[in-house]
This record gives sequence, C-alpha cells and structure tokens, in this order.
Amino acid sequence: MKTNGAVCLALIASLSNAIANEDTQVTHLTDDAGDRQPLHTVVPVYPESARRERVEGDVQVCFNVDREGRTSRVRVRTSTHRVFEKPAKLALSASTYKPLAAEKKVSGIKTCRTFRFRLIPVAIERPADAG
Amino acid sequence: MRGWQQYRLLLALVLLASADMATRAQDSKSVIGPTNLELHDGAEALLVGDAEEGVRMTLIGLRQANSNRERYTAWSNLCAGYVMLEQLETALKYCDQVIEETDGHWRAFSNRALIYVKLRRYEEAERDLQRGEALSPDARTLKAVRAMLRDAVEPVAPSIVIDDRRQPADAGDED
Repeated sequence: MKTNGAVCLALIASLSNAIANEDTQVTHLTDDAGDRQPLHTVVPVYPESARRERVEGDVQVCFNVDREGRTSRVRVRTSTHRVFEKPAKLALSASTYKPLAAEKKVSGIKTCRTFRFRLIPVAIERPADAG
Repeated sequence: MRGWQQYRLLLALVLLASADMATRAQDSKSVIGPTNLELHDGAEALLVGDAEEGVRMTLIGLRQANSNRERYTAWSNLCAGYVMLEQLETALKYCDQVIEETDGHWRAFSNRALIYVKLRRYEEAERDLQRGEALSPDARTLKAVRAMLRDAVEPVAPSIVIDDRRQPADAGDED
C-alpha cells in the first residue's frame, strides 16, 4: 500500500465501535496529510426521518484534537441539511485520534472531517419470491 | 422492529384523531363530553395499545351509533383495531365499509393503504394513498404510510462515507 499522500479506502462496516444502524455501510477515507490519525471512529446514525424521506446530505465538522487524541470544540463548517448535523457532531465528539508522541507539539490547526450521508437501493428477496 | 414501532406510532396518530372525533361528534348540539361513550372509550383503549378492549368497546359503540359520522369513526377504528390484532382481512372489511359509504374519509384510506402494505398489495396501497393525500395532503399518518410503502417497494440502506482527507481549504483553519 502506498503511504505518501495515498488514499486509504477501507470498508469498516463491521467496526466494533460503530453506533450506526446495523445495516449501514460505512466507508472511511483517510490520507496521511494531516498530523493526527484516527484511532476510534464512531459512525453517525442515519436519521430515521431522513431515511424515510429519502434525504441525503453532507456535513463537514471541524474540531480540535488534544495531545491525548480527544476531540473538542466541534463545529459544523458546512452542511447541506440540518438533520444530519447533530448525528455528525455526536459521532465526532465520541471519536478519538492517536495520541501525539511526547516530542511533538499540538498543532493549532483544526482538523476537519466530512460525513456523506447516502442511501443506496437494496434488493430484498423475500422467502415467498424465491424459486 | 423499526417498521413495527413506526406502525404503532402511525396507529396512535390515526386513533388520536378518531377519539377526538368521537368526542366532538355532536358539537352542533352543544353537548359537553363524548356523545358515544363506548366509541370514545374504545378509541382510548386502542390508543393505549389495548386492542382487544378497544375493539370490544368500539363494537358496542357501533351498535349505539346514531349518526353516519359515528358509524364511520367506529368502522375506521375497528379497522385500526383489527390491524393491531393482526386480523388484516377483518380490518380490511371495516375500512371497505367506510370507503363504500363515503369517499371523503381520508383516515379510512390511510388505514386501508396500511393494510395493503402489510398484505403486499402495493398497487392498491398506492391508489388509496393518492386518494387520501388528495383529501388531506398534510396528514402525517398518510406520510408515514407513504414512507412504509416506499420502504417496501424501493428499500434503501444507509451508506455513510467518513472523509478524513485533508482538503486545501482546511489548511487555513486555525483556532
């Protein structure tokens, strides 16, 4: 796997710490451009009302990460639909990053994360339809 | 599980309105309180989830109904009550009765659409929803049934992309 600036794409649907709905497919896109690496990534819940109404959207949140990897001052930077803002902030607040090495200084630059809430069509085969 | 919870909420909303109708059935005569106590109590029982008692009281209320409005309310609530009891064919019979008598009762269309969704008779559900929506475009219960139909016909699964890739604009975000 490339490491320098390469995008690391991983399906983490089985993420043990996820709080998302059971049937949520999760994709985590990362690169090594930032100085902090995710440790514990909590997946937001897709709001039921949005799912029912077939609403999709994006939310970008920006926040501070302290030396121990805890997030704070989580703010919504951009959002296409308000319904996604709260789950995005909750998930981010419960997520952590890898602690900084002792010799490194905490950067004043905020870290940002974008959540893209999408709905994908699924085909369900009912027992009565089989065969 | 999610579908069942949604469904119970939906029934509660339909019944809430019906209980209110039972109470106000004869407003024009300035009668204070329910005019058909059994019908009212039946709706209340259904609202708290006691389907058997709700149906029993509503059947008594139906026998004592002295206006078309009370009869429609009773049939509509019996339709909802039998849905709660999972007796869909009986429920359907009561909804059909309301709709045969009047085509202006959106709750009956809503209840019947719900039954059709449960019976996987999606085209009929769609037809009833359209008729109900024409009568009451903003009804929450109709919207909920519409969502259930959509979920049955065009199911979707949530997909969430967590994008941690640094974007050019992020670099300038200092505290």
